[in-house]
Amino acid sequence: MKELIVGVSGINAIDNPGPGIGVARSLKEDAELKVKIVGLAYDAMEPGIYMDWVVDKSYMMPYPSGNGDTFIERLLHIKQNYGLDCVIPNLDAELPLFIKYADDLAAHGIRTFLPGMEQFKLRGKDRLLDISAKINISLPRTKVVTSVDGLLKAIEDIGLPVMVKGSFYKAYRSFTTAEAISHYHDLVAEWGYPIIVQQVVTGDEMNVVGLGDGEGNSLGLVGIKKLSITALGKIWTGVTVKNEKMLAAVADFIREFKWRGPFELECIVHDDEVFLIEINPRFPAWSYFATGVGINLPSRLVRRAFDLPVAPVPDYEAGKLFIRYTYELVTDMAAFQKAITKGEVP
Amino acid sequence: MQKLSHLAINAEGFIFNPSTGDSFQASQSGLDIINGLREGRSDEEIARKLTDNYDVSVENARRDLADFRGSLKSLGLI
Repeated sequence: MKELIVGVSGINAIDNPGPGIGVARSLKEDAELKVKIVGLAYDAMEPGIYMDWVVDKSYMMPYPSGNGDTFIERLLHIKQNYGLDCVIPNLDAELPLFIKYADDLAAHGIRTFLPGMEQFKLRGKDRLLDISAKINISLPRTKVVTSVDGLLKAIEDIGLPVMVKGSFYKAYRSFTTAEAISHYHDLVAEWGYPIIVQQVVTGDEMNVVGLGDGEGNSLGLVGIKKLSITALGKIWTGVTVKNEKMLAAVADFIREFKWRGPFELECIVHDDEVFLIEINPRFPAWSYFATGVGINLPSRLVRRAFDLPVAPVPDYEAGKLFIRYTYELVTDMAAFQKAITKGEVP
Repeated sequence: MQKLSHLAINAEGFIFNPSTGDSFQASQSGLDIINGLREGRSDEEIARKLTDNYDVSVENARRDLADFRGSLKSLGLI
């Protein structure tokens, strides 16, 4: 099998970890895939740059802002100078660019396996109502507002406390109207309109990582429950679960929306009711958990992207434990120097 | 007892609910009760088995069974 060079972003394995290292490790663990990992980094202190047993080569990237020309040029530079057959973008901010330029990148021999722009827009929290109605999953009572008057009306309808959420990022629990108005203004200033006002639901936090083939079929999925989280709300320990209602809703999601690429569904399960909280159109930071229980989704993605054989979707066992831990490495400053002066390591 | 039948239980009484991710540790007598319920035995049969295995009167065994059943219910296991 030809060696494949796969670009992976989100190699910031920090206290708020990006998904990249888990994705890269997964690719390395497919013994039949000959993969070299190119780390796409935005900061010279991203630990993945220095983890040479996982990331073979790292490049500093420009931020994926503006029209994206500089970003795409950088990818083409990597292609020309090191080689780049495929990219798995793992950060939200990169996805619109990668989706927009997917055909151009493919024309230059850089493959991706992502949802289309219409599918991508479904992740907006203002679209979750449409999704929940189609996949037999509950949504906390939700109002989409674009004014303070609308916010006040929504609070009156839903009742306090409420979650005040940006369309794509950030969410704040608000116990008073004044608190909600303050969060509303902060979110508008940072992320713009609309703002989502949502009922607070309690229960077990359960997530699913999955991969759709773009034709309505699943290439694999794993459900987990978060057992403990960090102060930043990131999973620290978890356990695999098979909540039938949640997994059925995910299968419906893949089929109904012909989802292509990786995704994470965040849910809250209370008794027999499953609430949809969020959809992330990328691998989550804990996606190595799925690999650890026998469902190597990054490897399956690359195989699918290159029309290589993909084994039938394997099953996983409920009751497998995930434990994140801290670790340190010591290296020479030369690597850091290369990252900031040359923009590539080694 | 459908929920009970879905539980993963090992010989040491560690119970895992694959649907919710919850886990519990049952005592040996609790495990005996759960196994009895999973096997579809009547309360009387389970209480008598408890008196056979433990130094307990049938009245106390019945009361323990009722208490334990209440615990299982509050945990959403039955």
